Amino acid sequence: MIEKIVAPFYEGLEHHKILARKCKECGAIEFPPRYACNACGYHETEWVELSGKGKLTTMITPATLNSDPWNAKIGPYCYGIVELEEGVRINSTVFGVTKKKAKTLRNQLPLPVHAIFAERDGYTTLFFQIDEDVLA
Amino acid sequence: MVSGRVGKYQRSVSIIGVGMVPFCDMADHPEMEGLTEGEFFGTAALNAMADAGLEPRDVEFFYHGNANPKFHNDAATPNMQVAQWFGMGGKGSAHHSEACCTGYVALQEAVLDVASGAHDIVLSGCAELACGLPIKGKPAHIRKRLLLEDLIPDLEAIMDRAYTRALGGGHIGQDDWIDLYRTTYGLTDEQVDEVLNTMSYHGRRAAVLNPMAMHRTPFEELAKEAGYDDPMEYLRSPFNPKTTQYLRVTGNATNADGAACVIVCPTEMAHKFRKKPIEVLGIGSSSLELMVPHNEMEITKEAARQVYEVTGLTPDDIDLLFVNDFVLASQLCAAEEVGYLPRGEGWKWMLEGRCAFDGDRPINPHGGRTSYGHAFGVSGMADIYEAVLQLRGEAGAIQVKNHPKTAMLRGFGGGQNCCIPILKAVD
Repeated sequence: MIEKIVAPFYEGLEHHKILARKCKECGAIEFPPRYACNACGYHETEWVELSGKGKLTTMITPATLNSDPWNAKIGPYCYGIVELEEGVRINSTVFGVTKKKAKTLRNQLPLPVHAIFAERDGYTTLFFQIDEDVLA
Repeated sequence: MVSGRVGKYQRSVSIIGVGMVPFCDMADHPEMEGLTEGEFFGTAALNAMADAGLEPRDVEFFYHGNANPKFHNDAATPNMQVAQWFGMGGKGSAHHSEACCTGYVALQEAVLDVASGAHDIVLSGCAELACGLPIKGKPAHIRKRLLLEDLIPDLEAIMDRAYTRALGGGHIGQDDWIDLYRTTYGLTDEQVDEVLNTMSYHGRRAAVLNPMAMHRTPFEELAKEAGYDDPMEYLRSPFNPKTTQYLRVTGNATNADGAACVIVCPTEMAHKFRKKPIEVLGIGSSSLELMVPHNEMEITKEAARQVYEVTGLTPDDIDLLFVNDFVLASQLCAAEEVGYLPRGEGWKWMLEGRCAFDGDRPINPHGGRTSYGHAFGVSGMADIYEAVLQLRGEAGAIQVKNHPKTAMLRGFGGGQNCCIPILKAVD
């Protein structure tokens, strides 16, 4: 039997659960989840759940060449590196950043973020949002 | 990421011939319009053979590279479809495709082949008609213009389909590294803009003098047409708007049609041929998917480490650097990462013009992707073509000062694949 990874990950997102894999040798978290560990090169990992809490460490505001009209329907957003509290670092899309506020917010990096889940064309996807108390 | 290593070749390999078709948009050149992939690849291949003094019968095997043969050429077997154009019907060949890193991987394939002893004389080339699209049911000379709305959705193909496209992690690439640079060294947005515009300016100065380059109109002329006396003022103006947070129009590469080929053989045989041999001392390589933070920086660091380790060279040994800079800022960031410019100081060198083709630490003397043009899979091979001319001392009006002996090429493509060869002129 070939172990399924991608489908269970998206099923998890439907229930607002973020699934990752943990290396059985070095303990590094592999996210998005895959079979093997890309921190140490060991072949075996196992399922773990992530909290979805972390921080945004960089901020790129979208412009004509890299904007996504679908994102804009949800709200103002930026691209950036998200570091989750379990040690995962990924490039992601983060909501709550207007062009007007971007300069001020950039000077406040790192900013706390939390996961948000969005329905898109028959699947649930994962984005992040800057914590409301920062934006208040 | 997991680091790798590369060992010494079983036998030394050198470049003995190079050939090219200039980068252009065929539709703007009546004498080029209607040419096909076979004619492009065939011309570059026969030019490389003539450069080496070879006939097609002398070449034992060839590699064919193209960034996306199905999209641009509606071909699943492009190597077989071009072989007879340059007299290699019946010989062995293979196709490979690694987005904009294709041209550098093309050199690696040929070098590994000859180094292994499998063949003595191998041709490796790339052809890309990146300004147009094939039309189903019509012969290859009938094409339609490629529009941005065709290209943008297709560019998604460089991103992982399981996760990156769906999770929105792949759109940071153009600005990521220069943003990190700005933050690390405390530059203002205005300083970054000035550095990038200066790089655009010097790249165009070189391209104007380079018969292989696509954009050959000086910025002075474009500025005058737009009502500016100073080309730098023009580059800062609304005539050159921002397309991303940092990059203006002139900071992005323009699609081009083009082809380029190289021929390699064992260095011990290389002196039999017409031109000064250029040895391939080693090639470092690394790749990381687009969702991994600072992936371009990380893979550049890793590939450079490998090639320095296997060659025993240091950055001080490198006389000339080429950087695949379809995102212009990569030229500066990669030059510092491979040690060619001092860390945190490179931006000042750029502003002083020291990295221009006629400066004391030249980078991309051919003009760089944003002025030379970007024929996707061919661009890396075009960089190799230009590096070979520089190392032979045959680069004409753009020949860099202090005749270079050793060149490094920071190959990069698909936003995630890095390949760094070091080339050296054989005495």
